[in-house]
Formats: sequence, structure tokens, C-alpha cells
Amino acid sequence: MSLEPNFTPDSGDWACARCGAPLEQIKVQALYMHSAFAVILPRCPSCGLTLIPQSLAEGKMAEVEALLEDK
Amino acid sequence: MLLAQTQSLCPVCLRLVDAAYHLEGDTAFLRKTCPEHGTFQVPAWKQGEGMPSFTAWRQGTRIPAYPAHPATDIRHGCPFDCGLCPEHVQHTCTGLIEVTMRCSLGCPICYARSSCSAADPSPDDIARQMDALFHASGSCNVQLSGGEPTERDDLPAIVAMAKKKGFALVQVNTNGLRLGREEGYAQTLRDAGLDSVYLQFDGVDDSVYRTLRGRDCLALKQAAIEACGKAGLGVVLVCTLVRGVNDAQVGALLSHALKLGGHVRGLHFQPVSSFGRFPWDMDEAPRITLPELMANLEIQSGGMVRTAHFHAPSCEHPLCSFSAVYARLDDGTLGEPVGAACCSGGTSLAGESPRVVDNAEGSRVSRAFTAAHWASPKGGNAALNDAFSRFIARSGADRRFTLSAMAFQDALSLDVERVRGCCIHVVAPDGRMIPFCLYNLTSFDNHPLYRPVPTTGETR
Repeated sequence: MSLEPNFTPDSGDWACARCGAPLEQIKVQALYMHSAFAVILPRCPSCGLTLIPQSLAEGKMAEVEALLEDK
Repeated sequence: MLLAQTQSLCPVCLRLVDAAYHLEGDTAFLRKTCPEHGTFQVPAWKQGEGMPSFTAWRQGTRIPAYPAHPATDIRHGCPFDCGLCPEHVQHTCTGLIEVTMRCSLGCPICYARSSCSAADPSPDDIARQMDALFHASGSCNVQLSGGEPTERDDLPAIVAMAKKKGFALVQVNTNGLRLGREEGYAQTLRDAGLDSVYLQFDGVDDSVYRTLRGRDCLALKQAAIEACGKAGLGVVLVCTLVRGVNDAQVGALLSHALKLGGHVRGLHFQPVSSFGRFPWDMDEAPRITLPELMANLEIQSGGMVRTAHFHAPSCEHPLCSFSAVYARLDDGTLGEPVGAACCSGGTSLAGESPRVVDNAEGSRVSRAFTAAHWASPKGGNAALNDAFSRFIARSGADRRFTLSAMAFQDALSLDVERVRGCCIHVVAPDGRMIPFCLYNLTSFDNHPLYRPVPTTGETR
């Protein structure tokens, strides 16, 4: 079992808009500016559509983005 | 060979004259002729082996960022209408407020000609200056300067006032003597909200300080750096660089800076300019151009830093500065440069294809960069068990070191195109904002273009 944190949705049960399948916590590769980050995110097991929780997008992910862009 | 044309001032009468950069041998000279006082020239850019060429470094198109609230009208043309006028093409990255003209040193070299006995501005005066800066430039970085700001016992209150007004980074420009001497003073400033200390630090032995500052200073400066570390204050070491005095110490300064702890966030060089007080004739100044400093850094650091690492800025004019930001390694050396650096705003490396720079974006990024990289390190206590957190811990601003230099312009080297794009603005006592070099610029007979004339018998 992974000890890495799951970045779960900030609230609610989410389903894929395209497939209707409930999202599952799956390890995904986030790629940006030649860097890859393996993180566990809510993802559609069928089509791969991934939800980035708002708190993550506005928090650590924004911080990483700024560092990569050197802003 | 003619490289570029611009305008400048006659260093004698300060009238506007046409000027041009000419390449002679491996050096670009700025040359100009005053119909009354003759021809003057000054080395502006040396492009020897391994150094970036004048043309490659200067290239690129800028999208102007005019002042949202110009304070003056265009009456006589640049550079005589500063305030800022509607034709200034860059926003403020850092605004300087001179809180006193008194100084504990009275150095032989001083752009501000400090030590005169003019009365300090009152807290209300300073509040008005801060309001003028905030109105014109919003939440920029502010540097409390002078004179020696720590001569004022109410400096902590002034720091707190700047912080309360919402400036992004509050920095004090200091010789460090009081910080080194007075137990608890660094903590008092930190508690008041100070983010960063811009510390005069010219060399690694006292012979340099005796020449440039008139006395031994090193022990007190070391004590100041230690005190800042304990108080959680970020420190940028600032070296006034003079050919023949300390240009052989740039590598030693870098290794010394890296040993002083993570709170020393960077080393910044200011090749000496001839304004205010200086002990030579202006046309015989021991000038050193930016590419020569880059080459010296590469040689004296044994290749740890390299000329190719340095970026041109995209905030101020390219000829005004260079910088690089490095990852600090655990063994106390520098790793590879990481992305762009102070005031470079993510620019491409010199020598790559011409670029278009949006001055407004360059200014915004530079302002944020300075605030993040010159402030106190935050210290890491975040959980490091996911990939994003590990990356942040490994490459965050707290683990970086900036190496930079800025070439100021005096009456000989002034280039009107450069000052029009200046992003370091002094807030004059009347609230006008004047590009740093123009505020400090003095003619051959020491007549200032903007700075109020000293009220005492002060001479250089």
C-alpha cells in the first residue's frame, strides 16, 4: 500500500462526465515543463479524465508551477 | 564600428546630447559630444573571449509599460521630467525611500553623499512618500535607504509602517554596523516586519573596507550577518566593485557568502559609478563593465559559476544588469543554475534568438522574484511525502542563491534609453519618483540633476 497521500476531492462524490463512472484514486503522472510528478488523484478508470481538487490546484500545484516557471 | 544610437547628457553642463555606442577593439564605448564642452567617451561593455557581445545582450523588443498614474507632464523631455512622466516605459520593481541622510561611516565613496547634517524626514513625511509610492506602483518592494537608516531610532516603526501599508517586501539598505554591534537589534527589526537586509559587504578582508569605507568593518559585518540569521532575516550581500581595490575578490566573496548560512540569499555587485562622493576624477574612474565581472566570477570561482549562466534582465534595460539563480548544494557549493533569475523574468539565455519582452509582465515577475528570493527563508516543516512537496522542498526559493550585478549610470555613462526603462525608483521628498541613476547623477563639478543640494558645507 502506498504511503503517499491521496489528493481526494475537496467535497462530494464525483463521477466522470464523459463515461458516468465514479472516479477512483489512481496514481497519475502530472507533467509540466519537463518535470513529472507521480501523485494519486481522483481519476476515471475508463477514460482517464482526472480531477484536480481545487485545494491542490491553488496550493501545492500552484507553488510547483511558480517554481518551474521561476515566477 | 557603430553599434547603436541613443541620447545622453553632457557631463559638464548636463544638457541633452546625442550619443552612440562604438566598438573599438573588444570594447563598446559610449561616445557623445557637447557643442560647448567637447567629446566624452566611456567604456560601456567589454566583449572579450567568452563574454557575451554587446549586440546579443542588448537585443530584443520591449512592449512599454507606462505609468498608470504619471505624476508629471512632459515638458522638457527625458530625462528632465521625472516623476514618473507618461513616457517612462517600466513600472516600479523596487521603490527607495531615504529615511535619513545621516551616516555612521561617511565613506570616501557614496552615491548619496551621506553624512550631511540635514534634518531627518518626519514619520509623517515618510508616510506621505510611502503613500505616493503605493499610489503609483501598488504593492512593489520597498527599500529603506539613506544615509544609514539604522541611525534613526524609530526605524522599527518605519518598517512596521511600510509593512502595514502592504508593500510586498520591506528591505533595509545598511552598512550593518548597528546590526553587528547592538544585541537584539536584528530581532527588533524582524519583529517590526522587516523581510530583508541589503548589506554593504565589499570584501573578505579589512584592506578593502579601509579603502572604500575609511575604517575596518569586517568583524562587525560578520556579526551583523550572524545576528540576522538568528533573527530570521534574509540577507543580500552587496559589493561596491572598484577596479584595483576588490575586483580580485569576487570569487572569494562568493565562497564566503556561501559559508554564511541559508539566510544569506544572494550576492549582488554594483560596479562603482561616479556620482555623489568619489575620490577620483570622473573621467579617470576605475570602471569595470558587466561582462568583465562575469568573466572574473567564472575564473575566480574555478568555473562553479560561468558567464553562460548569466541572463539579461527583462525588467530593467538589458545593459543595466545580469543575474543567475542557483540551487544550493548540501556541500556548500552551487549546483546548476535554475531557470531565470532576479529581474530576468524567465528570459532566454543571451545569444538565443531575439525576443519580445512585455515590460509589464517583466516587472510583475521581477517584483515577485525579488520578494521571494531576497526575503527571510521560511524554513521547511511541510510533510514531504508526496511528489509536489518533495519538489518544493528541493527546489524552493529557500534553497536558492542569487548572483547578480547592476551597472549604475553616471554623467559619463548615462544612456537615456536605459533610464527610461528603469524599475528602481527613488521617492523624492516631494513624492516624485525618480529613476535611481538620475536621482543620484551629478555633473563634473558635482551639481546634481535631481537630488536636493546638501544644505551644509559638504563637499566631495
